[in-house]
Amino acid sequence: MTTVLPWLTLCVCVAMTAVRVPSAIRGQNRTMFLLFALLSADILLSIREPYLAIDAVLGGFNLANLLLRFMLYGTFLLLGAKTAAAFGSPAGLRAILGPAGITALLLVAVLTAWIFFSMDTRGSSPGLSGLGREPGLESYAALGRLYPGYVAACLLPGIWQAIRGAGPALLRFASGTLFLGLCLLLLSQGFPLIPESASWLRPAINYSAALACALGMGGIWLSKSLARRPGRG
Amino acid sequence: MSLPSKAFQRWLHGVAPDASTSDVCRASGLKRTTLAQQMVRGKVAESSLVRISRALDVNPVAALASFDSYADLRGTPVPPTDAELISQIATMDLLRAVIARNDPGAPQHFELAAAPHETSVRNWVDAIDDGELRHRVSRATGIAPQNFSAHLSANRMPPELAVATAKEAGVGPAGGLIACGLVSPEEAGWPRGARRAALDRLGTAELVALAGERLQALGKSLHRQEHERNRTERIWENLG
Repeated sequence: MTTVLPWLTLCVCVAMTAVRVPSAIRGQNRTMFLLFALLSADILLSIREPYLAIDAVLGGFNLANLLLRFMLYGTFLLLGAKTAAAFGSPAGLRAILGPAGITALLLVAVLTAWIFFSMDTRGSSPGLSGLGREPGLESYAALGRLYPGYVAACLLPGIWQAIRGAGPALLRFASGTLFLGLCLLLLSQGFPLIPESASWLRPAINYSAALACALGMGGIWLSKSLARRPGRG
Repeated sequence: MSLPSKAFQRWLHGVAPDASTSDVCRASGLKRTTLAQQMVRGKVAESSLVRISRALDVNPVAALASFDSYADLRGTPVPPTDAELISQIATMDLLRAVIARNDPGAPQHFELAAAPHETSVRNWVDAIDDGELRHRVSRATGIAPQNFSAHLSANRMPPELAVATAKEAGVGPAGGLIACGLVSPEEAGWPRGARRAALDRLGTAELVALAGERLQALGKSLHRQEHERNRTERIWENLG
């Protein structure tokens, strides 16, 4: 399962990106196209084989991992801004795009880069699993989970309102899926507590979170398309 | 809740000894698979019984009364109260009546829309509620108050709960079945024209106050719908 899940997630994300091409060409909601393209690239870069290939081009000292971190921060900035606006939570929007949110993002980004360059990262290894006992590694990983977790926490209350509301069933179901994905991101803050014997849980949770978020947003798109189908108003 | 299939079969055999299940379904327009499924599960829906009764020219309320869980419906029909009758008049008809009373130039004669109307369940419960009704119903049937409210908001009510509610309110047992649309007022023994007569007996001041209450409730519900629609639109606009 742990080998299939990443590729499955990648397929879903690429499919969502492809679905959005026509509307992006028409100029509608290009941010969502960008978001899905970015998410697809994130997933691609997190899988072993593409990671090794890209990292080799970048010099073979795991710069691809730092790139992935920054792309993830960008993904969550976009996802947070769009989702908070969609679910009408002004407090959530302020927490993400306001001074606090931007400061948090900058702080996390600067710290991430600083820790990365202070470590000896020679030799390509996905997830930096091949690195020796570097003291900064644990904080580097925690920072990578922190910002997505922060964004998820800002979004959950607004989405919960929509799930409990009386909107179209598919929309509520899709919102529930998105909600689940964001909950998994919050759960991932507890990764250091997972014993080594159950280390497979980490990628499982990460990819499930990405998959649930992508499927949730895809479901929202689908519910809109179904509702706007010609002949049904 | 619903009717046990054994009892249903006994009833069907009693009213139409020679009819096969497919005859009954053809006559009532009920899908054969639907009825078969309900029989297999041992739970025949009251609405199926009502449709079959109508097809066989049997009074549906009398048919229901032959089942033990609906024993309250037995005996001579209890006449409805005026409040119950008015509660089964649609809000728009009440507004028409307000205009007719206050503007001699407006049409004085209009047909009342058939019961039930869009908020008939809530209006019926409001009409028979002495303030403690929900507590008594919840004690008697075990239904949680928020579930009871959910039925009112959705304008539906399981027939058994409707009968239990009427019993706790001390009114005729069939009123709730009319409000939830299971049977017609005539089938439940309400005299023809009773709603119109009750409306005519209602004083103008009371009529206006009642119409005002209904209008306010309608405004609230439209407001909620609009809010929900706006929320959906915003999600679609941003993420769709």
